[in-house]
Amino acid sequence: MKITFKIWRQNSPKHKGAIKNYEVEGLTEDMSFLEALDHLNELLVLKNEKVIAFEYDCREGICGQCGVFINGRAHGPHDNITTCQLHMRSFNDGDTIVVEPWRATSFPIIKDLVVDRSAFDRIIEQGAYISSKTGTAPEANAIPVPKAISDRAMDAAACIGCGACVATCKNASAALFTSAKINHLNSLPQGKAEEHKRVAEMTYQMEAEGFGNCTFTGACEVECPESISIINIAEMNARRIKSNLLGS
Amino acid sequence: MFFKKSIIALTGLFLCVFLVVHLSANCILLLPEDIARDAYNSYSTTLRESSFIKIIAYILYVSIIVHALYALLITLKNRKAKPQKYVLNHSKENSAWASKNMGILGTLILIFIIIHLANFWARIKLGLGEEVGMDAFGHKDVYEVTYSLFQNIYFVLFYTLISIPLALHLHHGLKSAFKTLGFYHKKGLQIIAKIALIYAVIMGVGFGIIPIIVYLK
Amino acid sequence: MKLNSKIPEGKLEEKWRNYQVKSQLINPANKKKLNIIVVGSGLSGAGAASTLAELGYDVQCFCYQDSARRAHSVAAQGGINAAKNYQHDGDSVYRMFYDTLKGGDFRSREANTYRLAELSAPLIDHFVQQGVPFAREYGGTLVNRSFGGVQVQRTFYARGQTGQQLLLAAYSQLYKMVRAKKVAMFPRSEMLDLVVIDGKAKGIIVRDLVTGKLKRFAADAVVLATGGYSRVFRLSTLAIGCNGSALWKAHKKGALFGAPSFTQIHPTALPQSSEAQSKLTLMSESLRNDGRIWVPTKKADSRKANDIPEQERDYYLERRYPSFGNLAPRDIASRAAKERIDAGFGVGRLKNAVYLDFKHPIQTFGLETVKDRYGNLFKMYKKITGIDAYKEPMQISPAAHFSMGGLWVDYELMTTIPGLYAIGECNFSDHGANRLGANSLLQASIDGYFILPNTINNYLASEIKTDHPTTDHPEFDKAEKETKAYIDKVLAINGTKTVDHFHRELGKVMWQECAMSRNKLGLEKAIFQIKRIKNQFWKEVKVTGDDKEMNTELEKALRVADFIELGILMCTDALEREESCGAHFREEFQTKEGEAVRIDEEYSYVSAWEYDKGDFKLHKEALKFEFVKPSVRSYK
Repeated sequence: MKITFKIWRQNSPKHKGAIKNYEVEGLTEDMSFLEALDHLNELLVLKNEKVIAFEYDCREGICGQCGVFINGRAHGPHDNITTCQLHMRSFNDGDTIVVEPWRATSFPIIKDLVVDRSAFDRIIEQGAYISSKTGTAPEANAIPVPKAISDRAMDAAACIGCGACVATCKNASAALFTSAKINHLNSLPQGKAEEHKRVAEMTYQMEAEGFGNCTFTGACEVECPESISIINIAEMNARRIKSNLLGS
Repeated sequence: MFFKKSIIALTGLFLCVFLVVHLSANCILLLPEDIARDAYNSYSTTLRESSFIKIIAYILYVSIIVHALYALLITLKNRKAKPQKYVLNHSKENSAWASKNMGILGTLILIFIIIHLANFWARIKLGLGEEVGMDAFGHKDVYEVTYSLFQNIYFVLFYTLISIPLALHLHHGLKSAFKTLGFYHKKGLQIIAKIALIYAVIMGVGFGIIPIIVYLK
Repeated sequence: MKLNSKIPEGKLEEKWRNYQVKSQLINPANKKKLNIIVVGSGLSGAGAASTLAELGYDVQCFCYQDSARRAHSVAAQGGINAAKNYQHDGDSVYRMFYDTLKGGDFRSREANTYRLAELSAPLIDHFVQQGVPFAREYGGTLVNRSFGGVQVQRTFYARGQTGQQLLLAAYSQLYKMVRAKKVAMFPRSEMLDLVVIDGKAKGIIVRDLVTGKLKRFAADAVVLATGGYSRVFRLSTLAIGCNGSALWKAHKKGALFGAPSFTQIHPTALPQSSEAQSKLTLMSESLRNDGRIWVPTKKADSRKANDIPEQERDYYLERRYPSFGNLAPRDIASRAAKERIDAGFGVGRLKNAVYLDFKHPIQTFGLETVKDRYGNLFKMYKKITGIDAYKEPMQISPAAHFSMGGLWVDYELMTTIPGLYAIGECNFSDHGANRLGANSLLQASIDGYFILPNTINNYLASEIKTDHPTTDHPEFDKAEKETKAYIDKVLAINGTKTVDHFHRELGKVMWQECAMSRNKLGLEKAIFQIKRIKNQFWKEVKVTGDDKEMNTELEKALRVADFIELGILMCTDALEREESCGAHFREEFQTKEGEAVRIDEEYSYVSAWEYDKGDFKLHKEALKFEFVKPSVRSYK
C-alpha cells in the first residue's frame, strides 16, 4: 500500500504547527494505523529527521493513551474504536490520510500529535473516589447490589479516558467523561455517602478547566471507544439539579 | 454555566408551548374569509384585553431575550473552549447539522422575530406605521393586517422559508432540553425524540404553509 | 551473599500474623517526616502509594504514561482470584494456596504463596468498597467464574475489563491522596537510575519525558512497581511502553534478579500477522471456560474451519488432559499449541494459530448467554481481525505475557538493597515457575495495598534515626552525571539502523530460544547472538532529535539497550536450570509423552543473579517445603 500522510507537526506548545506531507510505501493491510506511523518514524530516522511524536501504550484499546484525529474523525473513520484498533485495511491504496492532534483549549498540544490531558486527572481528583481507607471495607457481600444497577455502573465505568469525546465535540465539552465517572460511583450504594459533594465538585472542576458545555450534538457517543451513552450526561444533569437542591 | 443552560432549556420549552398556541390560533386563518376575519379579530382582541395574557406576554418577551442572551454567552464560552478548528472535520458522520448550528438557526429565528414584531406587534400594539382599521364588530382588524402582508410575495417567501430553520431548531432544541434538564429515562428519551420530530414537522409545515394559503386565498 | 528470605516462624496460617505482631511500628507524627518514592502507578504502585499516604507517609509517585490510569494493569481482562468460597464449591485459603503453589510447579515459597491466598478475600472487600462494579447475580451477590489450572470457581470479574476496573479504583484512591496533598504525582517521568547511599536505596534519577530534563528525587525508601519485562521478546501482550529499565538499573546497582527466565507464554493471544506488528493482543483466558480449542487432524488442512467435520477435529487439550481439558494451566496449554503448530497442524494464513471455537457453547447456552459472558471480547476480536467469532472459530496463538521472574525479594518484599522494595509483577515472589490465571491482579494488589504498607515500617523505623537524604549528596551528582553521559553516548552513535531494528532482532532470538521450549545449544547460541546484537547496537543505532525535548525514539533506545542486557541474563538463567518446571521447559528434560520433568533434588531453589561487571553470579535460595510435599504436577 502507498499512503500519503498529512500530519500535524508542532515542535512545542510555543511553536506554530503546520501540516506536513509524507509519502509512505510498503504498508500492508494487516498493519494497524499506529504500526503504519511506527513504520513512517523508522523511515524518518533513516532520513535523519525527527520522529513524529504520537501517543500509544497498550495497543489493544483499553489504556486510552492513543488518540488522534484521522481524516476528520476522532480515532479515525469507524465509530466506537480507539486509534490503535484502526487497521490499514480501512483505507485504500493511494489514499491520503490527514492526522491531527486532539484540539481543545483544555488539551494543550505538547508536541506534534501529543496533547496534555491532565485536566481529566484533575476532574477525577475532585471526588471521583469513595473515601474509604485501605483496610476499612466491610464484607463484600454485606451490601447486595442488584445486577441491573451493577451493570449500569459498569457501563459508565468502562470509560478509558482517551478524550475522544472532548476532541470531537464542537464545544470541547468534557461532559461525557465527567458524567460517566459520576454515574458510575453515584449509582452504587458505596458511593452514595458522597454523591452530592462529588457531583458539585467534579462538575465545578470540569468547568474550571475550560471545557465547553454539552449541547447534545451526540458526536461524543459515536466516537467513544466504549460506546458510553450520551444519556449519562442527562443523568449527570439530574444529579446536578438534585445536588443543588439537596446538597449542602 | 449549567444554570444558564438550564434556563435556556426552560425558556425554550416555554417557547415551544407558546408556538403550539400561536399555531393553533393561526389555523383560524385557514377558514373561509368571512368566518376567519371575525374569529381572528375577536381572538386577538381577547388576548389584548386579558391581563393574564399580558403577564404571559411579558414572560414571553423575557424568555426570548434570556434564551438568546444566554445562548450567546454559552456559545462564546464554547468557542473559547475550542478556538482552533481541525484542518479536516467530517463531523457530519457523527452528528446532525442542526445540532451543531443552533446558534445560526437561532439567530435567523431572532431576525425573523424582530421583523415579525415589526409587521404586527409594532403596528397593532404600538400604533407605529400605517393605522390598523376596525372590523364590523369594532375589533382591530388584525386579519386585514395579516392578509395584506401576505399579499406581498417576498413576505410570503420569507415567512415560509424561515419555517425550515425554525423546525430544525425546534427539533434539536426540544430533544435536548429534556436531557439538559436531567430527564434520563432511556425509553422516555426515545419517545421524546419521536415527539420532537413530529412537533418540529408540524410547526415547520404549519407556520410555513399558512402564508402561502393566505396568499392564494 | 547470604540470602535471607525472612520467613516468619510458626504454622503456615500463623506466619503473617506472627510477622505483623513482631514488626516494628512508627507513630503517626513520625510517619509524616518520612517520604517514599513509588515508581509505577499500576495496581501495585497506585495501591501502595495511596495506602502509604493514607497511613501518613509523604509519597512521590512516578509513571512514564501521561496519566496513572494508563498503567498496564488496565489491560488484564479475565479477573481476580479470591478464596471467598461464595460458590460453595469447596474452596478455601488452603486450596487456593495449594493450587497456586502447584500451578507454579513448586518453585515459590510456601509462606509467600499462603499469604497471597490468605489476603485475597479482604482484597475483594476492599475493591467492592472502592466502587468496582464486579459482576453480580440478580439478587445482588457477587458472581464467580473458573479459570485455568483450577477446579473451583473463585474468579471475580467485571466483564472482560477487570484489570481496568481495579486499576481505575486504585487510580481514584491515588488521586484522593493527591488532593489531600499526601501524594505528589509525576506522570510522563521515567526512572533512569537508582541512587544508593551507604548501601541503602535513597533516591532516583528521573527523566522528564516532556522537557527531557534529568531530575533528582531523594527519599527514605524506594519502591519499584514497574511491572513485567516481557517486551524483551518485542512481540508480547504488554503495552509498548512496558520496560525493564528500572529493574535493570536497580540490578546493576546491586539488587539480585530472581528467576529472570521464568516467563509465561499466554496461550490465547491473536497470532502474528506481519513483520511490522508491534504487539500481540491478548484474548482473555476466560474464553477457555466455554470455548474449545482444536486443530484439524489433517496436516496443512486448507479447508475453512466450518467446513471441517467434527470427526476431523483434534481437541488436543481435551485429549491430552482429560480432567482439566481446555482449562489446563497456561504453560501447558501454550506448549500443547506450539507442539501442534510445530507438527504442521497450525491454522490461519501463516499456519501459526489454533482454533478457539464457541460453536458448542452457543448451541448449549444460546447466543445471548455467550454474548453476555464474552461480548466485549468478541467485539474486540472483530475490531482487530474483521472476523465474526460467533460464526467461525477464533484463531489464537501463544504470546509472551507475564514475567514470573523479577527482582528477588524477601518476605517483606525488600530486595537485596536495603530500602529498595519491589512489588507486583516486577518482583519474583508468589508465582514460582508459572502463574495461574487471575492471580496477577491479585498479587499486584496485595503487594501494594496490604503487604508493603505493613512491612515497610520495619525498615523505616530504623531510618527515622538517620539523616534524611538530600539531592545534593555526591551519589546523586554521580548518578545524574552517569545517566547524562549514557544518554549522550546513545545519541552520539548516529549509526544506520533504527532502535526497532535491534528490538526485532532481539525479539526473534529470545522467542526462538528462550520462550516456550529451550535447550542447551539454543540458549548458548542465543547468548552469543544477543551479545553480538549488543555490540551492533552500540555501534550502529541511530536516534534522531536530542535529549532536551520530548523524544520518543530516545526513550525507546534506552529501554531496548536494557532489554538487550536483560535478554542475556534470561538466557543465562534458562541455561543454568537443567530441569523443566512450569513455564521453563527444557527439551532435554521431558518424558516420552512430552511432559515436563522437574528435578527437585537439584533445582528446588530460587535462582538469584548478581550483576558483576557485565557478568552474572548465581546465588541460590533453597526452597523448603515444610507443609506441602512437592508432587509431579499433573492435569491429566
